Amino acid sequence: MPEITGDSIKDRTFDAIVIGSGISGGWSAKELTEKGLKTLLLERGRDVKHIKDYPTTNKLPYEFEHRGEVPLDIQKEAPIVSRCYAFREDTLHFFLKDKEHPYVEQKPFDWIRGYQVGGKSLIWARQTQRWSDFDFEGPARDGFAVDWPIRYKDIAPWYSHVEKFAGISGNRDGLAELPDGEFLPSYPLNAVENYFKEQVNKNYKNRHIISARGAHISKPQQVHFDQGRGQCQNRTLCQRGCPFGGYFSSNASTIPWAEKTGNLTLRPFSVVHSIIYDEQKGKATGVKVIDANTKQEIEFYAKIIFVNAAALNTNLILLNSISKRFPNGLGNDSDLLGKYVAFHNYSSTVSGEYDGMKEFTTDGRNPVGGGYVPRFRNVFKQETDFLRGYAAGFSARRSQDTDSSGFGDALKENLLNPKLGPWRVGSHMMGETIPKATNFVMLDKNLKDAWGIPQLSISVDYDDNDQKMIKDYEDEFSEMFTKSGFTNVKVSRTQKAPGLDIHEMGGVRMGNDPRTSLLNKWNQLHHCKNVFVTDGACMTSTSTQNPSLTYMAFSARSADYAFAELKKGNL
Amino acid sequence: MPSCSTEPGKASIDLKKININADQEALLAEIAETIIPENDKLGAKELNLHLFTLKMVDDCHNEEDQKAFMEGLNSMDKLAKSKYGNAFAKCDPGQRIDLLNAVSKEEGAAKEAAAFLKITKRRVIQGFMNSKYVMTDLKKYELVPGRYNGYFPAKQA
Repeated sequence: MPEITGDSIKDRTFDAIVIGSGISGGWSAKELTEKGLKTLLLERGRDVKHIKDYPTTNKLPYEFEHRGEVPLDIQKEAPIVSRCYAFREDTLHFFLKDKEHPYVEQKPFDWIRGYQVGGKSLIWARQTQRWSDFDFEGPARDGFAVDWPIRYKDIAPWYSHVEKFAGISGNRDGLAELPDGEFLPSYPLNAVENYFKEQVNKNYKNRHIISARGAHISKPQQVHFDQGRGQCQNRTLCQRGCPFGGYFSSNASTIPWAEKTGNLTLRPFSVVHSIIYDEQKGKATGVKVIDANTKQEIEFYAKIIFVNAAALNTNLILLNSISKRFPNGLGNDSDLLGKYVAFHNYSSTVSGEYDGMKEFTTDGRNPVGGGYVPRFRNVFKQETDFLRGYAAGFSARRSQDTDSSGFGDALKENLLNPKLGPWRVGSHMMGETIPKATNFVMLDKNLKDAWGIPQLSISVDYDDNDQKMIKDYEDEFSEMFTKSGFTNVKVSRTQKAPGLDIHEMGGVRMGNDPRTSLLNKWNQLHHCKNVFVTDGACMTSTSTQNPSLTYMAFSARSADYAFAELKKGNL
Repeated sequence: MPSCSTEPGKASIDLKKININADQEALLAEIAETIIPENDKLGAKELNLHLFTLKMVDDCHNEEDQKAFMEGLNSMDKLAKSKYGNAFAKCDPGQRIDLLNAVSKEEGAAKEAAAFLKITKRRVIQGFMNSKYVMTDLKKYELVPGRYNGYFPAKQA
């Protein structure tokens, strides 16, 4: 029997429970509390209060003992997160120690997690693009996974809803394959990024270089001031947490907003063990939590439950939610729970140099990084020997030529007077991967973590389609660079394990048919209607867009539906 | 007179992995000062770049690097003596620079200190460019730029 704390059941009963306080859970909590529902927001890690808990945010480079480098002893304790680009001396407190949170890698998988209030919304790369119907119709057209139960028109108003609140910078580019949104002013392309855009326009049809769209407040609106957020100050130190609230995070935005309603109870250090299913009522009644510090079991109850634990942990919680009715995991009649996991293929980069435009350089910093190349492969029709395609980031910056040869006065003089070198250009691919039953997560039968919860066992890998796509990206971008007059064009395969893209998705996919999917078009478990999954676990396919914006939109849309259903007495 | 004949004192900072005494610290300070000497602007010794180097070697380099660093550091006086008949610190500035050039070009016996010098030079430069002095007095590091211009005239940069 679980040991119950002294709190009465009444104190542990809410209208809604949201599991996870990251980018999607923050949105679920905001929407539900705004509608007047008493909402418990559970977070397995510690609390991180906006500004107050950003210890490094205003530190100068020389105030870091190792000038930003992560000491080797810390890397040894965290070999997996150490491979993440954002894991630096100024941000390491927002990553977990791998050794404390073990999982089983049937195949290499770099699982990057942020166990704290705000989750990975503190440390994300802030790129935000809408999906189009070319993405939602992908599985049906190309014959993989299952058909998405929604189309662009279903989610478009919810994209608008979350964009206005979060603050998204971008241009209205008028591209069918990358719908425009509710944009704040864009961060314009620089001289060579624009030059590349013109060259590509000249040399290709249907290939576009646009300003990257990102969750940065380039020009604050009243709704941002109301959140206590201000204009992005181009620090590009975002992963430390932003004292201006210049980029979107749960901590700066949705959670304080939810708190202001008076309807939010935030409980950090709450590791969710499972969702409690009531056989008589035929629905979920609450969640079983292990207190992260005391290891005590506590149950919380609610009418509706939103699972936003981040894609793979949402799978874990559902797989671990065992009952007589659901012996294989909550809602898992189809036996597809944990399967059809996919991710984004970031396996290659192409770089080069440009000798022109030397009359220009850049000044200040671009918080969204530069340009974005929407997917151009297989968009309007199938045209290659692989399915789907890739988007890419593209950026250019003027290099500094520092002569660091020799020793003494001459060296010192050279270091302090670098010359502007040629422009350096670079791109990285973001490929769609095809969800497959053979890419899956499951519970390990024997191994448990420190809280007595089975460890997740991950078996996810690239396939032949991915390899062909990598080659195509390399060939196409090398050609696009060469045609633009870039020199020293180099391809670099990064050999990243899946996971390091931090875009893992699926396992609890949406679909029309309960026999071939777990969630319906409202992100509601087909077989347990008061449980909603609106994080990456719900994704039927991955497309090429950075996924967070879509999770935000799903969360808001689903919360709206759940509230309406609750009022109708259907849940 | 061999400098290690007297009881060596301890290094002035706490180190966990590498074992450095006061003489070795002083020698490293001279080498760092040779890399970035004081002139009209502050140099390595004044900015404690030798201590920064030790800290980084101790915390951010693997055992192989640490071993090469120690061996190279310990060979510097011997190299200086065989070339100029003096310990490194007693060599004149021109001799010191010539010796460092010989080490970095891996000339003859000087080769054994090459890995050490590579690490030290890298860390001294890093410490210098990221020092408060350089970042505030000589070049301006901006914590809060508040702007981005993608067409900034190169002439004004």
